[in-house]
Amino acid sequence: MNAVMSIAKTTIGEAIRRRVLLVILLIGVLFLVIAPGLSVLSARQNYTVLTSFTLGIIQLTSAVIAIVLTVYLLPNEVERRTIYTILSKPVYRWHFLLGKYLGAVGALAMMMLLMSTVLVLVFKIMQKDASMDDVMRLATAPIFFFVQMSLLAAVAMFFSTFVSPIVNIFLSGGVYLVGTLFSPVFQDLSNNKSLSPAVKGAATLVHTVVPNFAQYNIQGGIINRGPELRSVELYYVTIVGYALIYITVFLIAGMMIFDRKEV
Amino acid sequence: MRLKRTPLIAAIVALVAVGGALNRTAYPIWVSNYSPRVDADISGLQADQLLVALAGFREMVAGILWVRADTFFDQGNYDAILPIIRVVTMLDPKQIDVYATGMWHIAYNFTDEQNRSDRRYIPSALALGAEGAKSNDYTYELFFETGWLWYHKIDDDYDNSVEWWQLASKRKDMQVARKNILAMAFLRAGKLDDAIDHYESLLSDAQKLVKEHPEEFANRQNVDTLEGNLDNLLVRMAQRGNFALKGGYYDQWKYDTKPPYDVGFSAQVTVEDSKVLRVEGTWGVQPVGTRIRLVLRDRDYEFGRPAGMIWGRSNKVDLDPEKNVTFMQDGLFVKNQAFFRRVDMSRDPTMYPFVSDNYVVEFYYNPRSGPPHIQDRFGYSGEGMTDKNYLNTEIRDGQRVVFATLELSRDQLLRQGEWSTRVPIVRTKGYVATGSRDTNEVINVPGLRNEEESPNE
Repeated sequence: MNAVMSIAKTTIGEAIRRRVLLVILLIGVLFLVIAPGLSVLSARQNYTVLTSFTLGIIQLTSAVIAIVLTVYLLPNEVERRTIYTILSKPVYRWHFLLGKYLGAVGALAMMMLLMSTVLVLVFKIMQKDASMDDVMRLATAPIFFFVQMSLLAAVAMFFSTFVSPIVNIFLSGGVYLVGTLFSPVFQDLSNNKSLSPAVKGAATLVHTVVPNFAQYNIQGGIINRGPELRSVELYYVTIVGYALIYITVFLIAGMMIFDRKEV
Repeated sequence: MRLKRTPLIAAIVALVAVGGALNRTAYPIWVSNYSPRVDADISGLQADQLLVALAGFREMVAGILWVRADTFFDQGNYDAILPIIRVVTMLDPKQIDVYATGMWHIAYNFTDEQNRSDRRYIPSALALGAEGAKSNDYTYELFFETGWLWYHKIDDDYDNSVEWWQLASKRKDMQVARKNILAMAFLRAGKLDDAIDHYESLLSDAQKLVKEHPEEFANRQNVDTLEGNLDNLLVRMAQRGNFALKGGYYDQWKYDTKPPYDVGFSAQVTVEDSKVLRVEGTWGVQPVGTRIRLVLRDRDYEFGRPAGMIWGRSNKVDLDPEKNVTFMQDGLFVKNQAFFRRVDMSRDPTMYPFVSDNYVVEFYYNPRSGPPHIQDRFGYSGEGMTDKNYLNTEIRDGQRVVFATLELSRDQLLRQGEWSTRVPIVRTKGYVATGSRDTNEVINVPGLRNEEESPNE
């Protein structure tokens, strides 16, 4: 496990030195800082606009960082031939892949933590009457965005074992969009009693196999404070468990491919 | 050492199965707590909007668009706001303010040069309110707003206000002060007993609250308000003979609503110029406070009904009004027992297209929309009011209203064809010329003192 952790630490170090990621992060933070300028409406709209815009910025920036960060991890090592140095040591290929993934997630966590800190600061400055409960409620969304992006990073890591980075960007982005866009649709289709069993079965299969990214979009319950949320704890545990399972699935699949890949 | 594939594939299959089960557990909770809308009607979104909507950034985009709409409000560019309102409500149907502002904007702000609002938008405003209420059924707000649109803007068919405000009252966050207005809707809907019951129920709740929190001034004030309202209502009902009507002894005693007063309605419409009407007539009621509804509409309008239209006919928000339909509604203010109004529709061709061949001009007065001092004489349902020519007991169920219609052709309204040189004038039966009263800016209010006894005489 030491090897995995060493690779992860090195990956974090590399990631935070990559200019393209820092530029994306900087743009995200900049948008967070200027977000209050958009909240020019009434008191309640002010809250709505501020929270929806800032949470949206964090989610969008994190998704871009997660993909850009992960798609280049394996190809860069191969291209620079540094992978040979690592694999010549007593390190299994799955150690290498796992270490790279954990490093990516660690770097992602640091960047999202920075954005979330800015988010909370901006929120506290702009919403002077906000209670600690409000702040905690707001901070819940980035936590689940992080879980969502960790899953996205696993998807990108899986694809990076057999496709080029550019193709991977489109594939991972596509899976993310499909997982957000169509999961609710397929779920509705699979529950629709008027459809034929074949269509329902196909919808259920697609919905079961394609990771459901939509369920981490919990900002609706934070932006709109009115509705009473039910079974929140159960929900949180379930979707975190779901993410861990799918991350494991994608990493195992990636390890299987990477294990037999000619490098 | 190579990884063994078979157990790993088996593990993947098992994990995907468990993941699928977890997904099915979580999905209903997500729909209930976080899903943007109850019924995913996002068909009106364009492809790019749909993409961002479904990719998880809908609230952010909705927020940005709503800020943009605010800029358009400031610029007075009202037309540009409509599509934004629709897109924002599709992107983020939990934004109550957008629904409430949108309803108000659609129903009130599209006006002609004389500040008459375009009533063709009202069905869409109601549909928007209904959609918002459905998407946000945890709060009273959009139920209340939709009820208010019926009560204030449509100012007719008050059963609908009652229905919406009853739904609003069931919500836990309904403001105490706002609950009182349901009683007013009951009165205007002619459900007097329900109004009493509602006031009594509110009073009982308010008194309990005072016992629990006697230190709260607002609680004591609410009790005072409710007692005052209930007291007023009971006195009015007694004086207007409502208890007697219910008890079947109305004809045995004197009440303020007896005998029915003849309002002496008459009217004349002159087409002064193309799409310009001069409307004048008589209303023999001295106190100020009467507004007679004037409607000009296509005679064969599909959704037309006497002095209005079928307002709540649609559950679809269609922001394009019926472009081929002409529907003008205005209020004729009565002073010195006469009314006069010049209605100029010539500068708003999109609002008044005049496509049909035939039109009706309708005059409508309903005591339920009147102020209390008029209702004291006419009663809630017009039992103290009559008109020898135009009393109508059919167009509004259980009500005595004044209703008159006149007909005009398209050629007459546009002053074309044979009417290019002749002035079309149509008038009701028994029309009495108003003479110079229309230009008199002084309102003649008779004094309580007998003029002969005045020391100045």
